[in-house]
Amino acid sequence: MKRNLAEGNYRITPGNGFFARRTRIRGLLGLLLCFLGILLVFCPSSAQCRLYLDLENPNLAKIPIAVPDFVAQSPATLNGRDLARIVKNDLYLTGLFDIVEGSPPNPQNPTDPPDFDAWSQNGAQALILGKFQVRGDEWVLEAMLYDVALKKLELGKRFSGRINDHRVMIHKFGDRVMEKLTNVPGCFTTQIAFVTDGQSREIFSMDFDGHNLRQLTQTGSINLSPEWSPDGRGLIFTSYLNRKPDLWALDFTSLRPYAISARPGLNASGRYSSDGQNIALSLSFNGTPNIFIITPQGNIIKRLTSGRGNDISPTWSPDGSAIAYVSDHAGTPQIYIIPVNGGDFRRLTFQGNYNTDPKWSPRGDLLAFTARIEGRFQICTIRTDGTDLRVLTKVGTNQEPAWSPDGRMIAFQSNRDGKKLIYVMDARGETQVPVSPITGKAPAWSRTGR
Amino acid sequence: MSSRYLILGMTALLVLFVLASGCARKIVKPNAVPQPGFVGPQVGGPVLEHELQVVQTSLQPIYFDYDNYTLSPEAQAALQHNAEILRRAQQVAVVAEGHCDERGTAEYNLALGDRRARSAVEYLATAGIVPNRLSTVSYGSELPVDPAHNEGAWAKNRRVYLRVSR
Repeated sequence: MKRNLAEGNYRITPGNGFFARRTRIRGLLGLLLCFLGILLVFCPSSAQCRLYLDLENPNLAKIPIAVPDFVAQSPATLNGRDLARIVKNDLYLTGLFDIVEGSPPNPQNPTDPPDFDAWSQNGAQALILGKFQVRGDEWVLEAMLYDVALKKLELGKRFSGRINDHRVMIHKFGDRVMEKLTNVPGCFTTQIAFVTDGQSREIFSMDFDGHNLRQLTQTGSINLSPEWSPDGRGLIFTSYLNRKPDLWALDFTSLRPYAISARPGLNASGRYSSDGQNIALSLSFNGTPNIFIITPQGNIIKRLTSGRGNDISPTWSPDGSAIAYVSDHAGTPQIYIIPVNGGDFRRLTFQGNYNTDPKWSPRGDLLAFTARIEGRFQICTIRTDGTDLRVLTKVGTNQEPAWSPDGRMIAFQSNRDGKKLIYVMDARGETQVPVSPITGKAPAWSRTGR
Repeated sequence: MSSRYLILGMTALLVLFVLASGCARKIVKPNAVPQPGFVGPQVGGPVLEHELQVVQTSLQPIYFDYDNYTLSPEAQAALQHNAEILRRAQQVAVVAEGHCDERGTAEYNLALGDRRARSAVEYLATAGIVPNRLSTVSYGSELPVDPAHNEGAWAKNRRVYLRVSR
């Protein structure tokens, strides 16, 4: 899966007109900025502030960003509009950006500086420009992020590699843009695994934006609940390969599935701890489905719950100290949290009579889950102390949330367009887009990039 | 020889009974009483494929209320009927397949289907069927008999189906 990509900081060559001029004024500008620095602390909404998204700010304003078509510097088999669209879509899906469409004409000479004033009049505060060259089946991309108000180059990157890898290269640039603007890299090279919803129930993977679809299993049996290993080298999933729900693993190098836990009854909803050393799952060989922790080889480490209700769908806290899960021992399915190293469970959800599919955010502060509201199922988030319940979806039936590894996005299954598709939304639910090219359910987001 | 003819005759009777009572997968009639004199395979000797078929078609599905695994009076009547058949077909084992309707989440439905299957098996065990003839498998909401999205389909899909084997 690792691609051979050369990535380096894009160096600005001296003598380039714009940057030479900038260097001359940099000293003066720097002094001025230092002087203004103290003032800027008190004017966080000022257009003169450095572009930065404070993700902790509940009233976060989106950054208007323009991503005009990338410019081919030689005759090319790649289309500059399609290339720009890749990173544009990445940023759009985070819900942190307003995409500014329409653009001032490109500068006559690609080495000329962008017309920042024109971009500013268009409403853009940030600007991404890309130029590329194709040689044979290789290509080179130079991509830049500018702060429009400050007329400043924030990020310049040069990538080279195979044309077939062009999407992943542009995603990598998007990751760096996110890092620059939020201090946390993006996760645009990650993938989503899911189960097809049709006659066959095979597991597929795709890039998080729905491209690069690949079939991972060909078992001819029902497969459920895929989960990536934290190192990204394989999957675990529940499969009826032996005509009962057992926990199986698939290594991407051999692509040959093998059973991990095939005890009588359920061996379902397996989830890795962040360090990959443990798997929590629901086993019912004792009579009722309870939460257990096993090794990746399938040996039981401990039994975590012992109630008489159905316990299923465990999810680890990022630090591995606690597990949230679903139990109906109080009459309706609700979400509970139990410490891994001993202690009582506590009930997290009290609203409504059907709360399932908990998924702990990689940032640790939230759980996403499915709630039945007015007869339909919706994706919600709640803080781990049970406060701040938010309903993120409104249309159709929506289930099975899965966090992106940076905690900014949630994949889920929705039937709002008539068939079950995998959707991606930002963690506030503002942008919700179908991404899977085929029907699907049970999305699982990889924790590593390509 | 004569016992073989007896079995065949009884089998024919049973097939008539099954045909007369319609498809085995319809909603359980609470007053469906096992036909007196029913025979499945008798004690001793291997179970033949067609005999297995006969037992299979005479077993009734057990239906459940939404989000529930307790046995209604109708479900208990169906299980009584099934227990009677299994008592007479001593060499047949059954897998109780637990199913749910499409509403709800897949993993929770897996647990619910497991409990439905277990409820059915526990009832059969209480009715005298040796536990080692009984096992369970949950299919959650993955295998509906009726793929429609309405109350009628959902009612048919919330079921435990007893699948026979040797």
